[in-house]
Amino acid sequence: MKLRCRIPLATFELNIDVTFDARVTAIFGPSGSGKTTLLDAIAGLRAIADGEIEIDGRVLFSSARGINLPPQQRGVGYVPQEGALFPHLSVRKNIIFGAERVMRAGGSRDIKLDYVLDILEIRSLLNRPVTKLSGGEAQRVAVARAILSRPRLLLLDEPLAALDIGLKERILPYLVRVRDEFKIPMIYVTHNLTEVLSLADWVLMIQQGKLVAQGIPREALRSAHALFQLPEDRFENVFTVSFMDSNRAAGTTRVRLAPGTELLIPYSERPANPNFEIRISADDIIVATQNPEGISAGNVVPGTIRTIDLLDGQAMLTVFAGEDFYVRLTAGAVSRLALREEIQVFLVMKTRSFHLL
Amino acid sequence: MFLYTQIMRKSVSVAAVFFVLAWTQTSARADEILVSAAASLTDVLKELSSGYQSKSKHTTKFNFGPSNGLARQIEEGALADIFFSADLAQMDTLDKNGRLEPGTRKNLLSNQLVIIVPADSKLAISSPKDLLKPDVKKIALAEPASVPVGVYSSKYLTNEGLWDQVKPKVVPVQDVRATLASVESGNVEAGFVYKTDAAISKKVKIVYEVPIDKGPKITYPVAIVKDSKRKDAARDFLNYLSSSAAKETFKKYGFGVLD
Amino acid sequence: MIFSFETWQITLFSISVGLASTLLILPFGISLAWLFARKEWPLKSVLETIVLLPLVMPPVSTGLILLKIFGRRSPLGQWLYERGIEIVFNWKGVLIAMSVMSFPLLVRSVRTSFAEVNPRLEQIAATLGASPLRIFFVITMPLAYKGIVAGALLAFSRALGEFGATILLAGNIPGQTQTLSLAIYNFVQLGKDSEAYTLLGITVALAFLFVWCSEWLLRSGKRT
Repeated sequence: MKLRCRIPLATFELNIDVTFDARVTAIFGPSGSGKTTLLDAIAGLRAIADGEIEIDGRVLFSSARGINLPPQQRGVGYVPQEGALFPHLSVRKNIIFGAERVMRAGGSRDIKLDYVLDILEIRSLLNRPVTKLSGGEAQRVAVARAILSRPRLLLLDEPLAALDIGLKERILPYLVRVRDEFKIPMIYVTHNLTEVLSLADWVLMIQQGKLVAQGIPREALRSAHALFQLPEDRFENVFTVSFMDSNRAAGTTRVRLAPGTELLIPYSERPANPNFEIRISADDIIVATQNPEGISAGNVVPGTIRTIDLLDGQAMLTVFAGEDFYVRLTAGAVSRLALREEIQVFLVMKTRSFHLL
Repeated sequence: MFLYTQIMRKSVSVAAVFFVLAWTQTSARADEILVSAAASLTDVLKELSSGYQSKSKHTTKFNFGPSNGLARQIEEGALADIFFSADLAQMDTLDKNGRLEPGTRKNLLSNQLVIIVPADSKLAISSPKDLLKPDVKKIALAEPASVPVGVYSSKYLTNEGLWDQVKPKVVPVQDVRATLASVESGNVEAGFVYKTDAAISKKVKIVYEVPIDKGPKITYPVAIVKDSKRKDAARDFLNYLSSSAAKETFKKYGFGVLD
Repeated sequence: MIFSFETWQITLFSISVGLASTLLILPFGISLAWLFARKEWPLKSVLETIVLLPLVMPPVSTGLILLKIFGRRSPLGQWLYERGIEIVFNWKGVLIAMSVMSFPLLVRSVRTSFAEVNPRLEQIAATLGASPLRIFFVITMPLAYKGIVAGALLAFSRALGEFGATILLAGNIPGQTQTLSLAIYNFVQLGKDSEAYTLLGITVALAFLFVWCSEWLLRSGKRT
């Protein structure tokens, strides 16, 4: 995908020039950095002063060549922040709204419909009036509607932003499923790191309308831009682990993070898929220079400090303990323990600090 | 006691002076006379009033309109001093209801009914019967049930046996001047006005004059309104209207003068 | 009160011409209101002001302008007259006077309804492949229809109450152009008070009914 555009906005100018090719590209940045404007421009809902937009070799917009496809012809599915379901149509009518285009082009509508309904688990909502849906249900319906219009590209604008944390956790897996089952390239706007780390193969970091960094999420997010821009956000570590065994009475489940590294997470039954994702906040990890004894934490994992970044009294560390862990400490703790790169430490993590994705 | 008498005497003489002054002022003050007059009298009365005002200390103010509307206003208590109507019916009504100053009523003028068409009209209309032609689509007439010129015209047409066929073509308007304006605008093919009205407009032409003996008797009475507070001034103006100079002016405009 | 044949004839005439005028202005009013609500163009405010003028100017002024435009001496009037169409002193004049005077009310109401439809919904519909026509009829109109009906009711009431422009353009011809308002004026002039009061009662009842319905529609629209 080639994306170059310049759009004058109220307080700054959105100026992007980037080429990328990925399953899911996240656009990451603080609120007001121009992310929604960018999506609107890609969908054809916003005028561009000057630029080019090209997907898979297909030109959607080119100021140089005078091409400006209307939204109807761009083949871009859009899930906006507020869902924007049509309030006067039923759930069913909403979902198949864009599918009529597909039906005219040929292709069996029904099979696709059933498939989507199952993946997003919204079959039971079909005849409900749109106004009676919960936040999470509405978002899933909006995603289904976008998918059923058979887009070449799916745009999602902070789809989980309006949901509370519990709901976010429950809907994120659906988005992962969408990515895996439907294989439509996605551009996903968010200011939440967990979402980026769970979903994206590539991330563009936008600030004040400019691209400040891009790359594989784990690496790109290490830069100072990511780490210190979002003090309110919980900085999440996301890992893929494999199930080993569970002990209901003890309330724990044992999982393997990497060869030689095991973790204890809260009890859950053996899942259908033995590989799954867990997360733990960077703020919930304690660093110890000695192996602590007589403590309740179920996880004490030895590791090596790889990087330490300091800014404004905060310290962000990456510690390799089978995998790279992000750990956030105060600058005071770093100096008190005389932490520096290359030294061996222990990561202390409560069983209950781990969450299933 | 003496002081009291002194003050009393002084007050009485001062009061006496005031009374005398006031008395002389009443008969010597200049009044503004309000005349409610039929619309057809608009131009002639304006000319007469400038003549009058140059000779008299009084001034005149006019309220022109359809005589039936003006009579109604006076019924409801409008402060007119003189009423100059285009027909006897309106004056009779006020007389019957005791609104007129006794002994001041007088028949002053007469007029003639004419049929007019727009000055650039190409239609051949030379008699009332021609009004029945299909090219004549609309005929302007002041409200035939109440405005004098409308009443005169409809009575005349009824006598000629034409009213039933003319009626559907009639566009009723406010008064004779509105009739004139409608014909001038060309939005109607013909209209009934007084000869005196047709005379002042260049945008219409007379195609038929209703003969005086065949048409209705048009009489313009004038009277002082009983509730007037300026009866002396009103009398003065009425006298002027009956003067030979005024009569010449009326004749100049085409009115008939009754003696 | 006197409910004579004449009374009913006048009422029926007013309602039918009023209905016709509302139906006449509906497509133009809706289109213009949509343009005003969704599009921008240079000198847009000039057009908005012109449309609003009949609402603000004295009705007789508007009536005079219409008389000048449609009178037999004007180019348009002449052209129509040659084709056998008369506007002045004719029921068609009543239709035009009512249409012109109630048009701004309709445009204002409908414009507000369109503006209240979330443009995001229309945008998303576009990304889903809906043509502008489909968007208008399937998304915009159904969401705005309550306001449109309320606007039409308001326009209809205004048409019924029209006097100044109507009397200048169409005249007060009993049986041909006499609407409720014109008839009331006429009866008062002629001193026929009971007939006047009958018509007064009818106009008040009609006005009350339509305005009440219009308000109810607007309120119920806001509740959803």
